[in-house]
Amino acid sequence: MKNISNIYILLFLLLLTAGIQAQNTAPLIQSKLDGTVVDAITNQPIIGASVNIKGTTHGVVTDAEGKFYFQTGQKFPYTLIVSYIGYKKAEVIVEKNPVIISLKEERQELDELVVVGYGTQKRKDITGSVASVPKANLSQVTSSADNLLRGAVSGVVVTQSSGRPGASSSVRIRGGNSITAGNEPLYVVDGILIYNDNANSSAGVTYAGASVNVLSTINPADIESIEVLKDASATAIYGSRGANGVVIITTKKGTKGQDNISYQGYFGFQNISKKLRLMNASEWASLRNDVQASIGQAPSFTAEQIEAFKTSGNYDWQSAAFRTAAPVQSHNLSFSGGDERSRYSISAGYFDQEGIVLGSDFKRVSLRANYERNYSQNFKFGVNANYTYSLANGVGTAGSGRTPNPIVAAVLTAPVVPIKNADGSYNVTNNPYATSVNGYVPNPINDLENTINETNLNRILTSLFGEYKLTKKLTAKVAVSGDVLNTKQNYYAPANTTTGAGTKGLASVGDRLVGSVLNENTLNYNTNFGENHKFSALGGYTLQYTKGEVVNAGANTFVNDANTYNALQDGVAVKPYSEAYESVLKSWLARVNYSYKGKYNFTLSGRADGSSRFGAESLWGYFPSAGFSWNITDEEFANNIKGITEAKLRITAGTTGNQEIGNYLSLASMGSVNYSFGGTLYTGIAPTRLANPDLKWEKTTQYNVGLDLSLLDRKINFVFDVYYKKTNDLLISVPVPLSSGYATVLQNIGGVENKGVEIGLTTENVKTENFAWNSNIVFSANRNKVTEIGNGVNEFFPVVPNGSLLQQQPVIVKVGLPLGTFWGYRTNGIFQTQEEVNTQPKINSLANTKVGDRRYVDTNGDGVITALDKGNLGTSQPKFVGSFSNTISHNDFDLNFSFQGSYGAKIFNALNQQLEISTLGTNAASTLNDRWTPTNPSNEIPRATSSPLGIVSERYVEDASFLRLKLITLGYTLPKSVSKKLGAKSLKVYVSAENLITWTKYTGYDPEVSSYEQNNLYPGIDFGSYPNSKTFISGLNVTF
Amino acid sequence: MKKTIITFLLSAGLLVSCTDLEVTPASFVTEDNYFITQDDAVASVTAVYASLSLDPGEQSLFGRNLYFLTDMGSDYAAAGVSATNPQVRALSSLTHDATSDRVQVAWRQIYAGINRANVAIDNIPKVSGSEAIKTRLINEAKFIRGLLYFQAVRLWGGVPIVLHEATSINLGNLKTNRATVDEVYAQIIKDLTDAEALPKTYTTADAGRATSGAAKAILAKVYLTRKDWPNAIAKSREVIDGGFGYALFEDFQDIFTKTKKNGKEHIFSVQFEPNQAGNGSSGSTFQATSFTGFTATEPADIISDVALFYDIYATGDKRRDVSYAKQLLNPTTGTLYTFPKPIFKKYLDLTNLATPANVAINFPVIRYADILLSLAEAINEQGGPTPEAYELINQVRRRAFGKPITTPDPTVDLVALDQTSFRNAIQEERKKEFVQEGQRWFDLVRWGTLVTEVKKVTAKNSVSERNNLYPIPQSERNINPDGLPQNPGY
Repeated sequence: MKNISNIYILLFLLLLTAGIQAQNTAPLIQSKLDGTVVDAITNQPIIGASVNIKGTTHGVVTDAEGKFYFQTGQKFPYTLIVSYIGYKKAEVIVEKNPVIISLKEERQELDELVVVGYGTQKRKDITGSVASVPKANLSQVTSSADNLLRGAVSGVVVTQSSGRPGASSSVRIRGGNSITAGNEPLYVVDGILIYNDNANSSAGVTYAGASVNVLSTINPADIESIEVLKDASATAIYGSRGANGVVIITTKKGTKGQDNISYQGYFGFQNISKKLRLMNASEWASLRNDVQASIGQAPSFTAEQIEAFKTSGNYDWQSAAFRTAAPVQSHNLSFSGGDERSRYSISAGYFDQEGIVLGSDFKRVSLRANYERNYSQNFKFGVNANYTYSLANGVGTAGSGRTPNPIVAAVLTAPVVPIKNADGSYNVTNNPYATSVNGYVPNPINDLENTINETNLNRILTSLFGEYKLTKKLTAKVAVSGDVLNTKQNYYAPANTTTGAGTKGLASVGDRLVGSVLNENTLNYNTNFGENHKFSALGGYTLQYTKGEVVNAGANTFVNDANTYNALQDGVAVKPYSEAYESVLKSWLARVNYSYKGKYNFTLSGRADGSSRFGAESLWGYFPSAGFSWNITDEEFANNIKGITEAKLRITAGTTGNQEIGNYLSLASMGSVNYSFGGTLYTGIAPTRLANPDLKWEKTTQYNVGLDLSLLDRKINFVFDVYYKKTNDLLISVPVPLSSGYATVLQNIGGVENKGVEIGLTTENVKTENFAWNSNIVFSANRNKVTEIGNGVNEFFPVVPNGSLLQQQPVIVKVGLPLGTFWGYRTNGIFQTQEEVNTQPKINSLANTKVGDRRYVDTNGDGVITALDKGNLGTSQPKFVGSFSNTISHNDFDLNFSFQGSYGAKIFNALNQQLEISTLGTNAASTLNDRWTPTNPSNEIPRATSSPLGIVSERYVEDASFLRLKLITLGYTLPKSVSKKLGAKSLKVYVSAENLITWTKYTGYDPEVSSYEQNNLYPGIDFGSYPNSKTFISGLNVTF
Repeated sequence: MKKTIITFLLSAGLLVSCTDLEVTPASFVTEDNYFITQDDAVASVTAVYASLSLDPGEQSLFGRNLYFLTDMGSDYAAAGVSATNPQVRALSSLTHDATSDRVQVAWRQIYAGINRANVAIDNIPKVSGSEAIKTRLINEAKFIRGLLYFQAVRLWGGVPIVLHEATSINLGNLKTNRATVDEVYAQIIKDLTDAEALPKTYTTADAGRATSGAAKAILAKVYLTRKDWPNAIAKSREVIDGGFGYALFEDFQDIFTKTKKNGKEHIFSVQFEPNQAGNGSSGSTFQATSFTGFTATEPADIISDVALFYDIYATGDKRRDVSYAKQLLNPTTGTLYTFPKPIFKKYLDLTNLATPANVAINFPVIRYADILLSLAEAINEQGGPTPEAYELINQVRRRAFGKPITTPDPTVDLVALDQTSFRNAIQEERKKEFVQEGQRWFDLVRWGTLVTEVKKVTAKNSVSERNNLYPIPQSERNINPDGLPQNPGY
């Protein structure tokens, strides 16, 4: 494979040197023309507009003052064609020198070019559902490109796994289709196909915690546009990777005629948006006394001590875990431009964000070079090259089921325990309420500050392409791209930290190298048959080869902490690990567009994919789609309907697939296990999986009906879509009889259904000479339902990878209910009398129910509370999500603000559940101050007991609906006259605030979380996710 | 130029098409490259043993999971406040149902081990190497298979008998219906009888493998459970007189001392070593769940009733302070810590309290004292106590009190009992002897005293006759409802 890619590059270089010289002819000077191009409304000069003389190849570009100049062989009068992005193309007949040409802003949305799979299309001709992320969204402060999709486009839901800088997020386009396979969309970055698998940023280092977002390796400042392909007509061209939707990211390219140097930068700071309400020392001491009493022990604190804690000896562990005013900064410098034959854009970026939690930060250096050259009239080639280095330091995991990470551990630490010693060092020895290990007690603040947990990412993402016009109508394109992602993780827990104490220091290093080579060869054919018939066709063959290698090693029992993870040989080695895998995907793709009079548009597209991931019996899959659109307003009968400027109906249907299931799963496998004889460990080989030669892709069939409507001369633009998606052949680990020796086999057996509506509304509310107000409303509602699990099974409880959550089984996958449905009891007050205890239903597994314990609803009325009384407590999938964004400009000022909201989703607040469990050693939520006592017969909070069970009930499955003022930005663009004095073409300063206000009933840190990252089975569990922050920044954009 | 382009496109197409879609995994063994050499055969049997001590992501079968059924589901052991799994608490209060995850996991682990044994037995004949070694390996696999079916038939009654590896994912191929109890015992006896051909002993390097004596000892227990007194007596005597060199440790503590592993009293133990179940884990979770540090927090595994099970030891009975700890020396402070309730101590490694998951004390599946008491029980059941029977039980008692084992000692020896009181004496002795050794529930069921004994513990008064068997896991019945009828009462 390596050889093949080498040969490609060689051939490519040969090709580049084999072109034909273009011919230049000097014009005959007969006339001169001085002109200016201005905005028709503001009269501001338009810089960089291209001005061509009709019928010739002669063109120029306006300068910084909007001026252009011609010396031409043409005689007056002649016609100029003037165009500029965002403005209507104008044809002006020039009769004398000089001339002022005013361009009207382009508002005919349907004429704009939209990036689609393997090409571009006029919006007017598109049959599929394709949405573009508004420009305003692209300028948000974020470490990662996928966050730019938040609230930007209807039908897209972005959930951050945590507010940790650089952390991963999960993106769902029109709901999740899959139960066990990946649900993330396919990303196409400058033509390179990437599945955003965050496992690629993990080298398997234990305790490393949430993975780093692989998409953070793309600098958001380099992004020119983002398109989201949603329906089958748009995504079928991506075949077995199209089912989850496709996000096409195009980076900034140079434009003809001007060289720009621009700098974009900002500084800012972040604070935690909310803190949890916990007990103080005095309250906790009194709680501990009650817990002691419940197990028949003497009180730990006297009344005097409890009183004294009110004035001294209270330690706020939660606040100690957070930074205040954590800084964030970003700097981007770019050079871009072009001439008649070449376009270039070169940029460098630096991003540095400290997290709001101690010990967490994210740094990134990114370099990009995009270059494109017209070698001859027929031959064009170019390169898009990107290199990124990023370093994330983060909060790892640690400890048991109760304390999955140090943030939770800090929140749970008893408030009477000092954080630091008198000498300023961390208190790691004195906590009578925690178990001491090798003389050290856990100090989560020390863990946060002194544990090293680094993830270094190096990514090279480069594509080279050549495009050759074989004939006027037929173009061939060859692209070769490489994606190399190297992850190096370093971990060291000193001997006095929670994870390091047991083993006297714990070091671990890991490395993962994932390389992918993609070759795409396409032919494009465009023709018209007469005036009325427009026809285009695309065909191609592509091949992608991916190889990955992982290695990690670790050691413990170090003499001291001096060398951290850099001297594993000084400790006692733990078992190392290595792994390698490869996959191949071959595809044939095709698309045919036909348009009759621009009124009726037809698209047929499809792809055949052969994937090494599937069974020998089903290596190839075929994914066809068909689309039709009708521009109603082009019909005569619709011509004169008042108010309706444009109307278009879209109908599409098609099938796409999902191949994100991991490698080799169709093969039987053996795994290694250990056993010891005579005190020595020996490796045994045990069967772990049965072969499934029929294993294949998951298949999603989608139907979409859409309506695009422009009203009142395009002051109101309305996009409406309704869709139905049915996914079959879902890969499910189907339970088989355990007596076979296997628990499950992976089979294509399940089904999931998604249906929904999406509305996008852009309006121009006010437009005068110096004041403009535009709004953008995005609304979507999706309903998700599991339709089949297989083998007659109707439900199963996914295994949540955390001791205490695993046993509680908070999430169910059940036929008829959405994925991510929470399953548990309903509470029914508190047992107030012994009589009630004796006669009312109690949890069967809890012996010794006493007065003051919580009651649950006996839904099946059998007199005892068992698992059968559990029921549906709601889903983590919202009923609808929406956003409302506004851009207001007045003279040189502009104000952007956007609200985002979500309604109807639930979150299982596992952290709050833990905080409401009273124990002898951990802090509790302040709600427990109202606990049941004989004198305070609370009907909501049970009595204090020692470590009662965590039980999933509606109390902890909280409403996660929220409305948030996501972003507000105020900018000021210096008048041209001023910026010119400073030597700049344009200069803008702005201040911005993110997450300023959130309205929600959710009691945890933030309602937009999911502790388990991209997982499909148990989203919406908040078990100490890294909290979200409020961010304030001030920035400067300047172009020279 | 055009030619160059076309040539390029064509060659690109040709080059890519030679890349194959069939990729070979680099990091795991597949069927195609396994069972070729004798080393493969050895590794396959090592995996059979490992099914007893290792189940990634779960507590291993003999590392604690079986304990929930065989001990916590009996009278003396209970789920403490640190037991956070409601299913564990349900087992402790005997209110579990067919959806119990612990029951299901035990079933799965047992059949996973049986499948590994089947894979080994089916495939070892085809590898190269010494026939003698191959036969031995097959018999080791049969020993474990017999042992696992013996656990299964006692826990669930007639269970599915699976004797060959699964070869296809076809559900019909994977389903097996319940057999009768007699059929299962016939298979157990067949496997264990084959395993009697195993070596009597191994080199030190192979210590821990199943021996001929282990096969006979388990057979003795099989016959005892079946109330086949003559065979139980015969097999026990073969273990005692067969020249295996078994004897009681003089010190009861030695049974659970790391340095005395696979000693003279150990007939077959499940081996636990540091890091055996992965980095930092031996596969046994008993220490972590019996000891929560020097705090008043009640551990997950705890004695159910101090008066009924701790206070019953006579003064001088060393078994109490090996089985339980009321006080423990805190090495950090140098002081004795007193627990609110005695904690289980057999699997605590007092030299390694810091990393409880990595504690490596073997789990004795069968030890010599069990054979002595089994023989005494069989003799008594056949026709009342004999001098031999007295000597057997008294040896166990003398050792318990630290007396010379073979010297009659009137201070501890039992004398002059009728059949019933001798039976009671054996039952008392076994209760004190085998704390946390996976015996109690099997004993109570064998004696038919489960309900009466367990009812004595207040928190366990939900016990009923149904508890003489565990339910067939519901998940199993969902797939094969007709072939797996449920046990009564579930």
